[in-house]
Amino acid sequence: MFAKLKKKIAEEAATAPRSGVRIPRTISKESITSVGADSGDDFASDGSSSRDDLPAQLLRRNDQIRKLEAKLSDYAEQLRIMQKTKDKLEIALEKHQDSSIKKLQDQNESHQASRTKMAEGMALALEKKDQECVEKMAVVEKEKAALSARLEEMMEQSLALFQKRDDLDELEGFQQQELAKVKHMLLKKEELLSQQDRELQQKEAEVQSAKRGLSETRGKLQALQRQHEESCRLNSEFEIEREELLLLREEADKKISELEGQCQELQLVIQQVSEDFQKSQGMVSTLERSLQELQTEHEALKLQQQKAAVTEEDKERLLTDLQKKVASLERRLQGNLSQDEHLQELLQEKSSLEQSLEETRAELLAVRTNHADTVCSLEAQVSRMSCSITELQTLLRHKEDSSRAYRERTDTQIANLEQQVLDSSERLKNAEQQITEKQQHMDKLQGEWSAEKAFLDQQLCLLEQQSQEKASRLEESISSLQTERQMLQDRGADLDRQKSEADSSLKQRTEELELCRVELNSRQTVSTEIAKALEETRHQKEELQTQVGELTTSLQSSQQEVSTVTEKLALREEDIKTLQNEVQFRQASLIQLQEEVERQRAQMEQMELDKDSQLASLREELLSQTQQLDSCQTRISYLEVEVETLTEQLHSPEVCEEDQNGSVTVDDLDHIQKVNRELEQQLSDKNRTIKQLQQRLAELKRTLQKELKLKPEPEAEGKERLPESRAEKQERLCPDPPPASTPSPPTSNTTVTNTSDLNDSREINFEYLKHVVLKFMSSREAEAYQLIRAVSVLLNFTREEEDMLKQTLEYKMSWFGSKPSPKGTIRPSVSGTSTHWS
Amino acid sequence: MRKACGFFSSLFSGLFGTREMRILILGLDGAGKTTILYRLQVGEVVTTIPTIGFNVETVTYRNLKFQVWDLGGQTSIRPYWRCYYSNTDAVIYVVDSSDRDRMGISKSELVAMLEEEELKKAILVVFANKQDMDQAMTPTEVANALGLPALKDRKWQIFKTSATKGTGLDEAMEWLVDSLKSRQ
Repeated sequence: MFAKLKKKIAEEAATAPRSGVRIPRTISKESITSVGADSGDDFASDGSSSRDDLPAQLLRRNDQIRKLEAKLSDYAEQLRIMQKTKDKLEIALEKHQDSSIKKLQDQNESHQASRTKMAEGMALALEKKDQECVEKMAVVEKEKAALSARLEEMMEQSLALFQKRDDLDELEGFQQQELAKVKHMLLKKEELLSQQDRELQQKEAEVQSAKRGLSETRGKLQALQRQHEESCRLNSEFEIEREELLLLREEADKKISELEGQCQELQLVIQQVSEDFQKSQGMVSTLERSLQELQTEHEALKLQQQKAAVTEEDKERLLTDLQKKVASLERRLQGNLSQDEHLQELLQEKSSLEQSLEETRAELLAVRTNHADTVCSLEAQVSRMSCSITELQTLLRHKEDSSRAYRERTDTQIANLEQQVLDSSERLKNAEQQITEKQQHMDKLQGEWSAEKAFLDQQLCLLEQQSQEKASRLEESISSLQTERQMLQDRGADLDRQKSEADSSLKQRTEELELCRVELNSRQTVSTEIAKALEETRHQKEELQTQVGELTTSLQSSQQEVSTVTEKLALREEDIKTLQNEVQFRQASLIQLQEEVERQRAQMEQMELDKDSQLASLREELLSQTQQLDSCQTRISYLEVEVETLTEQLHSPEVCEEDQNGSVTVDDLDHIQKVNRELEQQLSDKNRTIKQLQQRLAELKRTLQKELKLKPEPEAEGKERLPESRAEKQERLCPDPPPASTPSPPTSNTTVTNTSDLNDSREINFEYLKHVVLKFMSSREAEAYQLIRAVSVLLNFTREEEDMLKQTLEYKMSWFGSKPSPKGTIRPSVSGTSTHWS
Repeated sequence: MRKACGFFSSLFSGLFGTREMRILILGLDGAGKTTILYRLQVGEVVTTIPTIGFNVETVTYRNLKFQVWDLGGQTSIRPYWRCYYSNTDAVIYVVDSSDRDRMGISKSELVAMLEEEELKKAILVVFANKQDMDQAMTPTEVANALGLPALKDRKWQIFKTSATKGTGLDEAMEWLVDSLKSRQ
């Protein structure tokens, strides 16, 4: 056993580095599982075993032990293999490490060499720079020494300058003190002067105030004088008024006297008027008397007239008697014709009588006329007299009126005048009273005035005296002030003199000062020059210092460079370390890659196995597909048979199919399958269409039957009319089916049988017509317009009738347009259609 | 006549603002056209009897007025649909999704309708109705059964609806209103 195993191990050891890792694992796994299973069996059997089975069990146990030993040996071998592999791996690792260490050492050495080179180069450069610095420092120190020597000189010069400056300062201090003293003196004197000026001004102010008092008193005096003048004026005015009033009085007296004269005149006039009045009254009385006389005459004349009238009447009576006598005498004459002579005489007598009568008549007329004339004249006289009397009376009345008016006027005038007199006397009295009052006032005012005048005079005197006193005082003060002024002027002159002296001394001092200043300036210039030189030396020093700083900075930078170089060195070392790490990592990855390669190889093997199996399955599939093909071919043949039957049924487009069937013989399977599918699709489509057509046919048959049942008599008409529309549809729907017309025979067979269906369809049609017509009548015009077509179709209207309906509806719908005239063709057609529905 | 009518309608629209949209609801008998019409108008489910004739209602949807015509779908009165085609803006074609047997008839009626010259410019909305039924076809099935994908020069859309449950109607009307507005 062990020997075999060892051989195996030896064999496997040859391939160990590659497969040693994987295979043992698999083995171990199997072994573990098998062991587990065995042991499980043992325990399972153990419970149910008896002592009789013990030898068998022992045997089994021995076998198991052997197996276990074998396994143990296997494990030992595996262990050995593992250890070998481990050793190998360690060796490989050591080799790797050695090589890497070598590499590292090499790199280190090269790096150190480069580092030493760099350090040497840097040291050389540093030494050079140090030497240069030292040289520069030496030069700078020399310059420094020279500059320090110059500095000392300058310091000495500056000390001397400072001493001179101190002297100058002292001199200036003395000068300033003296100047201050002189100024102080001057200021004091000026103060004195200003005080005296102020006193003078005060005094002048006093004088001015006194003058102001004077002017005020003068103003008062003037005001008093003005008052006096005003009072004088008032007095004079009063006097003038008095004179005027006196004049007024005189005038009033004159007016009174005049008025009295007028009064007397008026009285005289009144007397005259009264005399006139009396005279006129006398005249009136005489005139009345004459009137009475005239009236009496008039009455007498009237009496005479009456008498004359009476005599006339007597004479007329005589005349009438005489005419009667004449008439009697004529009658006598007629009775006594023979007595011509007598007659003649009688006639003569008669004529004479007539003559005498006429004469008397004439006389009478004359008398009468005379009478009438006289009467007329008298009447005229009377009328004249009466006129004159009336005139006189009117005159009298006028005169009376005028006299009365005059009297009244005069009375009123007199009254007015008296009143005026009274008024004027009252006025006079008032004026006199006023005058007296004014005189009294005047007296009073004069008294007051005189008193005031006296008082003012006294005041004036007093003021004058005061002013005189003040003036004298002021004059005195003025004189004293003038003397003071003169003294002050003297003093001022003295001061001026002192001032001029001080000025002269000042001038001398200032001259000295200027001289000193000039000296100072020269010294200052010298000192400034020295300071400039000093500044220059300072500048040089600063420059040197900056140079030194620059050198130090360059030193620092070189030191920094050195430090950076060392840092770089450290970085390089770190890099070396990382490189070592990488090397290690790469080694590990190498190992991993080798492992992966091994795995992939195994996978490849597996893949090959899989592909083999797939190939086998594909072959099986191929077999099955060929079987399917066979079945398909059988189906195709079946379908062909079906197709043939269908073509027999349809008589139509099977030719192409047959053609295709002819091409079935070709062996190309794919093509056959495709063709097969297409054919199947076509078949199914055609089946569907056939079914639809059959359904449609059935429906059409049904409708046709119904139609035929409806109108068995006008069959020809119905066929023409209804399917007219239908025929178009059918043609469009199924362009190929000729059987559309063929199934009419079966319908004709069924038409007669079903009478109830006939009634039903007719009822439906009638109901439809009724409904449509009802809607047409009841609906809106827009809807009715749409219904025209239906109505006309239902009622079988002609084209013109339909158009007419449309026109009428449009006319109803629109507001304008004329109603279309109905056409004569309507009636017969309507009667014709009604027959269809009865 | 048609020109004059168009002139008048344009005059009307000029006078009274927006013209009423004219919509036809078509479909086989018992597809649910009347229910859909009154669902759209009053929003309630009404009990209906088979429509002999038609119903016309004014429906206002999103400030647009529609004159909706629900035409009876019985076989005998189906030929009269073509009397109502003129001046139609849109057609709502209602299909009973659960009636698989008559889908072919429905398709032929639809195709015949779409062939009409007067409906060349009408928008087509298909309602795959009665979606609440168990054996109902899906909208795509219905569309394929009606041959809708083959339609050219036609703006169409299919919606699954249930008039009794009121589902799908709003989306369909939204689409219709949008497409009508976009067409104007």
